[in-house]
Amino acid sequence: MGKVIHKSSKPLQVNPFKLSQPMGATLAFLGIDKCMPLMHGGQGCTSFTKVFLTRHFCEPIAIQTTAVTDAIAVLDGGDYSIVESVKNITKKVTPSLIGLHTTGLPETKGDDIAGIARQIEFPMVHVNTPDYEGGLESGWARTCKAIIEEIVQPAERVDDNKLVLLPHVSLQPIEVEKAKEFIESFGYNVYAVPDLSTSLDGHLGNKQAALSSGGISVDELRTLGDAGLVLTVGDSMQSCASSLQQKNSEMRHYHFAHLHGLEATDALVKVLLDETGFFGPPPTVSRWRRRLQDAMLDSHFSLGQTRFLVAAEPDQLSGLCQTLHDSGGRVTVAISTVDSTQLETLQAEQVMVGDLEDAELMADEYDVMIGNCHCEALAHRLGKGMVLRGFPNWEQVGNALKNDILYEGGCYLLFEAANTASAARNEVQHV
Amino acid sequence: MATKPKIKQLLDESACSHNKTKKVACNAPKPGATTGGCAFEGAQIALFPYADAAHLVHGPMTCLGTSWETRTTGTSWQGRDLTQTGFTTDVSLNDVVFSGEEKLAKAIDYIIEYYSPEALFVYVTCVTALIGDDIDLICKRAAEKYDVPMIPVHAPGFVGSKNLGSRLGGEAVLAHLIGTKEPEESTPFDINLIGEYNVTGDMWQYTPLLKELGIRVLSTLSGDGRVAQIRTAHRAKLNVIVCAKSLISLTRKMEERYGIPSISLSFYGKRDTSKGILAIAEALDDAALVNRARTLVAREEQKLEEKLAPYVAFFKGKKAVLNTGGNKTWSIAAALQDLGIEVVATAVKKATEDDREKARQTLGEKGVLMMDPGAEQARLIDETGADLLLAGGRSLYTAIKKGIAFADVNQEKKKSYGGYDGLLNLAEDLKNAMQNPVFRNVARRAPWEK
Ligand code: SF4
Repeated sequence: MGKVIHKSSKPLQVNPFKLSQPMGATLAFLGIDKCMPLMHGGQGCTSFTKVFLTRHFCEPIAIQTTAVTDAIAVLDGGDYSIVESVKNITKKVTPSLIGLHTTGLPETKGDDIAGIARQIEFPMVHVNTPDYEGGLESGWARTCKAIIEEIVQPAERVDDNKLVLLPHVSLQPIEVEKAKEFIESFGYNVYAVPDLSTSLDGHLGNKQAALSSGGISVDELRTLGDAGLVLTVGDSMQSCASSLQQKNSEMRHYHFAHLHGLEATDALVKVLLDETGFFGPPPTVSRWRRRLQDAMLDSHFSLGQTRFLVAAEPDQLSGLCQTLHDSGGRVTVAISTVDSTQLETLQAEQVMVGDLEDAELMADEYDVMIGNCHCEALAHRLGKGMVLRGFPNWEQVGNALKNDILYEGGCYLLFEAANTASAARNEVQHV
Repeated sequence: MATKPKIKQLLDESACSHNKTKKVACNAPKPGATTGGCAFEGAQIALFPYADAAHLVHGPMTCLGTSWETRTTGTSWQGRDLTQTGFTTDVSLNDVVFSGEEKLAKAIDYIIEYYSPEALFVYVTCVTALIGDDIDLICKRAAEKYDVPMIPVHAPGFVGSKNLGSRLGGEAVLAHLIGTKEPEESTPFDINLIGEYNVTGDMWQYTPLLKELGIRVLSTLSGDGRVAQIRTAHRAKLNVIVCAKSLISLTRKMEERYGIPSISLSFYGKRDTSKGILAIAEALDDAALVNRARTLVAREEQKLEEKLAPYVAFFKGKKAVLNTGGNKTWSIAAALQDLGIEVVATAVKKATEDDREKARQTLGEKGVLMMDPGAEQARLIDETGADLLLAGGRSLYTAIKKGIAFADVNQEKKKSYGGYDGLLNLAEDLKNAMQNPVFRNVARRAPWEK
């Protein structure tokens, strides 16, 4: 663990890969079945977000805007825009929930969205997510917290077979599914909040994208109070667990900084074994563990001679760095979008909150970049290997099905990183 | 925190400076039932293609964070491509409370020091407009300090749509750049290309032909554009507006101010490209030039027809349904017809009266103008026996259910469909789509489905 810079000293972001809080909120609402995310602000924020996510997932995205204009902004404390929006939305469709989240504009005006939401007689969750604070991770986490606080019913008894999984925003749909299945194989009924694994997983259906299709249902959400266990993945999600425990003090909580790699997966298995009293895991789990061990050995030679730059949201950054480090990959530079408790514990030589200009200035210090598609042009210009991870990835298809976590996903990640590093070395030799 | 009077003041300002053609009441987007981008996006579309200028977005993260590196606007600028370099002040709560002006001034210093742009555009966005940061003053001071043009762009998202924003972007260029420099030389055939953004290199499909005719592109707004050139735009003989209604007010003002006439055209499809080239030659009012243009157009059409022949044979008897909006409702239809595809229906739900009129002309009597394409298109595919659906991603399922080929009209293109040669790209892509068995294959029933 090396030096950590928690705040950039620059007056601007150059080639940013940081993303905004409202977008995190939108994504979280898309993990609820038949939800209509409603972004409160100018129409552009919504339009940009929609296009952004559509291109990443190659799926139509449901979202609406309150379309605040300058004329309305002066007269209105948000009431008109929000009430009208609900009216217009429900004229065409019947969502199970409207997910109201703010942007910087109404927050700067000081709109009282909680007050407005109270007056509206339609199932609604509201959350304050100004984009001049936080980032993608916090927007997602705040929304998850609001969903729990506003929908989950308090309970007194617990069902020991019932488990709530709270995944951080950077886990792609298939990763959420794999985590659910992994835990289910120990006999649990698992509910993920939010659950992108059945909504944005890229499945063919009659999707007009009027509403989100798939995800956890509002009815299921209501009854989560009797879960025996809650698992958080990613530091950003910690406080969501406390909100859930407030619904039922009997619920037990386990936290994982991430679920990447051998050690973290072992820790999860340990918890599940302790909780269930089983002697060992299901056969496929131990099989995959041995495959991961083998993958670590197979890839160590390439990784051991490679220096990586990893640019990601903190919770994902933590997992990626750990996976590479465990097989000898040297993460010389780790860049985070925002500050986080994760940064102090990252397996990286230098850690900083920054942008891709910082990445460019440190070009001498790494051979392969791991990050979103804004890194690609840079990697190309600098002649670096490139492993695409995180939001957005507009350059490739199949993002929803990329799995890096647990024993199984660890294998895929290691192979991809090792192969990319070898290819990058060959490239250098041949020029 | 911003106070009410400040908001009011801002609105009054925006009302007097650029409200002449905008009618707030009737253009106001409907809350909860609105699609489409904001004015900032429009300004970005119009101005970002200046790759030798830096584009600094003064606002929180959503505005630039979601939108940089989204358009493949080609440039031949040899320096660093600043279109594809994102700059934003990423204002924080602190800036919102105490003003973002200091941060903005420092950000400008930073960009000048490390990127030495030919000019710097500063975009105000919703939050920074609301807190009342005085970007005009900051730009003015910085311009004096560095002797580099600094252009404040007042198109915060909440003033309206993309179109309005493009217009405001054009206004900013007119106010701060056009007419600030004299060209080194003038020719009788100097033109400005207005509203051509060179997406996927569209403009390079036809500019070599203009050059061959002796027509010089003096400046562009803003495809493959240069700041030094747009500053001389007032010396052009003709403004050519390429598919951009939003910039008509700009060219009208240039006509009033500098006596430059303008024409509006498109380079999409064979017929439009030919018409466009001839129209430019005619507007430049030189008999010899017009003759040269006629010869060139005939030559190019012939060349294209030879190359298209195998495609036309393939497309013979094929029918398409088109579901898109704006000028695409007829411009794509015309291009399809150039390829020999019969366009049986086009959606006009999201089209202006003008576009509907053009769509009618293009499709002829028999063509169907769909007012409710979501509901109509499936039925029309059945009735007409269409082979191809061109629409946005959400219509994919309709095509699959009907077992016909699908092409996504909104997909970010990687290659140009413009000009003569672009038509070959379009033909190739559509042929590939129609020959692709995937649409039928994924429609296969699962063994457990009855
Ligand atoms: S609507 Fe306003 S805040 Fe949103 S993207 Fe446009 S300019 Fe930025």
